[in-house]
Amino acid sequence: MTATTAHAPAPTRPSPAREFLAAVVTIMVKELRSRMRGRRAFVVLTVYLGLLAFIAYAMYLVVSPLARDAAVGGFDQPGFQQANVSSLIGMAIFSVLSILQVVLVSVIAPAFTAGQISLEREKQTFDLLVTTPLRPGAIVIGKLATALAFVVLMILAAIPISAIVLMYGGAEVVDIVRQQLVLLATAIGFGSVGIFASALMKRTQAATVVTYCAVIGAILGSAMLFSFWQTVARADDPLGLQPNGGAPEQIRFVNPMVAMLDVVAHVEPAGGTQLTRPLYQLFGADLSAFPQPDAPLGRDEPAPAPVLDTRAAGYWWPRVSLSLIGVAALLTVGAMRLVVPAQGGWRSRRRPTTPSGATIEDQEP
Amino acid sequence: MTPIVETRGLVKRYDDDLAVAGIDLLVGPGEIYGLVGPNGAGKTTTMRILATLLAPTAGEAYVTGIPVIADPNEVRRRIGYMPDFYGVYDDLRVWEYLDFFARCYGVPANRRGPMIGELLEIVDLGTKRDAYVESLSRGMRQRLCLAHTLVHDPALLILDEPASGLDPRARVEMREILRELRGMGKTILVSSHILPELGEMCTGVAIIDHGRVLRSGTIAEIERSLRASALLRIELLGDATDRDRATEWLGNEPAVADVLPVELDEPPAIRLDVSFDGPADAQADLLRRMIESGHRVVGFSQATTDLEEIFLKVTGQDVEDPAA
Repeated sequence: MTATTAHAPAPTRPSPAREFLAAVVTIMVKELRSRMRGRRAFVVLTVYLGLLAFIAYAMYLVVSPLARDAAVGGFDQPGFQQANVSSLIGMAIFSVLSILQVVLVSVIAPAFTAGQISLEREKQTFDLLVTTPLRPGAIVIGKLATALAFVVLMILAAIPISAIVLMYGGAEVVDIVRQQLVLLATAIGFGSVGIFASALMKRTQAATVVTYCAVIGAILGSAMLFSFWQTVARADDPLGLQPNGGAPEQIRFVNPMVAMLDVVAHVEPAGGTQLTRPLYQLFGADLSAFPQPDAPLGRDEPAPAPVLDTRAAGYWWPRVSLSLIGVAALLTVGAMRLVVPAQGGWRSRRRPTTPSGATIEDQEP
Repeated sequence: MTPIVETRGLVKRYDDDLAVAGIDLLVGPGEIYGLVGPNGAGKTTTMRILATLLAPTAGEAYVTGIPVIADPNEVRRRIGYMPDFYGVYDDLRVWEYLDFFARCYGVPANRRGPMIGELLEIVDLGTKRDAYVESLSRGMRQRLCLAHTLVHDPALLILDEPASGLDPRARVEMREILRELRGMGKTILVSSHILPELGEMCTGVAIIDHGRVLRSGTIAEIERSLRASALLRIELLGDATDRDRATEWLGNEPAVADVLPVELDEPPAIRLDVSFDGPADAQADLLRRMIESGHRVVGFSQATTDLEEIFLKVTGQDVEDPAA
């Protein structure tokens, strides 16, 4: 038996890297042709931007009288007063848009990826795809990239809305850059959770459930776990010798809400405002407890209790963003391994099959 | 010359189920080779192994001399695979669908356009180039799927039940296309649970059941190997009682393997299909003794074994209704 045949492959095969890139582009072109066609993509984008713009405007309506009240009497000079009112409005809009966007991206990014692989299985196009020479890695990366491209488009398209705050003051360009980086990391991290679940589970429905459980776990679960751990740990450490009583802060590294509150806290007074205080209570009061001028919006409220174990502002968001991207890399590699056709893969032995070798789902009409 | 398909002792086991129990195949260049067998015989498993989708439990498989297990990626470049159940990307246009697969195989951009046109002509979808895949009929989708197997000009086509679920006209069209592809020098491995569907066009056939090759060779060879046992078609006058009496009488004959009463609409009202192991003089003897025992025989002939019967005989079980 020789390997030489009359049907030799194309004489010049491009380098593996070029081939991989071409394969990713192949998947992306196909995905974009089906995804971006028709109104669906544009409706989603329009609704997203419309919602953000509406919330921003509503915030303006709600906050501006409050801010004016708060600022009156603080300064005698009209110019100062004006500037201060304006920056309070800007701050409020920035906080709300940031938090709303991190929630929306956490919901939308997995929705775009959770069906990517399982739908190929459900629609029985998977076998056709994996009998091509496309590498499983290229399939996963191409699909993830297309899904994320659309989410990134949404995030970037919303920049002008966040940028409104630059007119009011209260947040600076650097704050918007941080906000964007956290949003992108969130999209990449949670998007890859979706694609991993999609490769792992046979059904899109199951993949979606698993994905959202993971997302809720990362946001709410990690916050509650950390808080619980902290409470228990502090009981053993009454003198406060260790930060957070020794609870591992890495628990928070998968939580984009922690990252976003860290970004938001930078523009807000210590303890947050009436709007953000409940979130700090839920996700960790220490996120906001660093020296800031008094909070005009929160002036009527009792001053927050001093919080120990405070990290400096800007401690959390880069760490969370990087670890989300790290998680994304791990999950993407995992998804690639799951997409390998049965050839030597462990999944082949687990697939329920009929004697004819067709999988059970193949047998369905 | 290197065979296009070669398997040696191919085994696939699922837990306690032996789906493929040692299959040896040898398919030369330019052949249309049929795998025939009832549902669950192991045809699909064999094809999925050759298509690099399943790893065999034991045995070896080669496509154009390349080991399927050790070098699946090279094999993928040489095969076009059409599964028995598959989906299409509904939301793509017909040309985009083929363009996608052409890109998957790294067909250069300048060759994709003309090639898609040619392929659509071959499968008779030339007018549907810009239609959405969603809008195609079942037969058209089947042909589109067939076209997708050709984008990289593979040496071997593996077609799992390409005619299943098609109406008679679409079946004929599919058969014509396969002939045309054979004319283009493609080697085709095709499966069906209906032998006659393949009989006319296959250069070779392997009849598979319970994961084993029961017979293989050309249809004529298989037919010859079965000649020892003839199918006698005996027609009688009479009613159900006569039929039962004749059936019982024939059942006691040592050379008769099996008696199958066949319902007929009009007289002579009884027909019995009888499997008979014996030469022509034994047949004459049987006829003489039948008449002597008082059976009113009006017809006694040896049926020309058609493919359906070969299939029945070899697999020893009922063939499903071809229309199903």
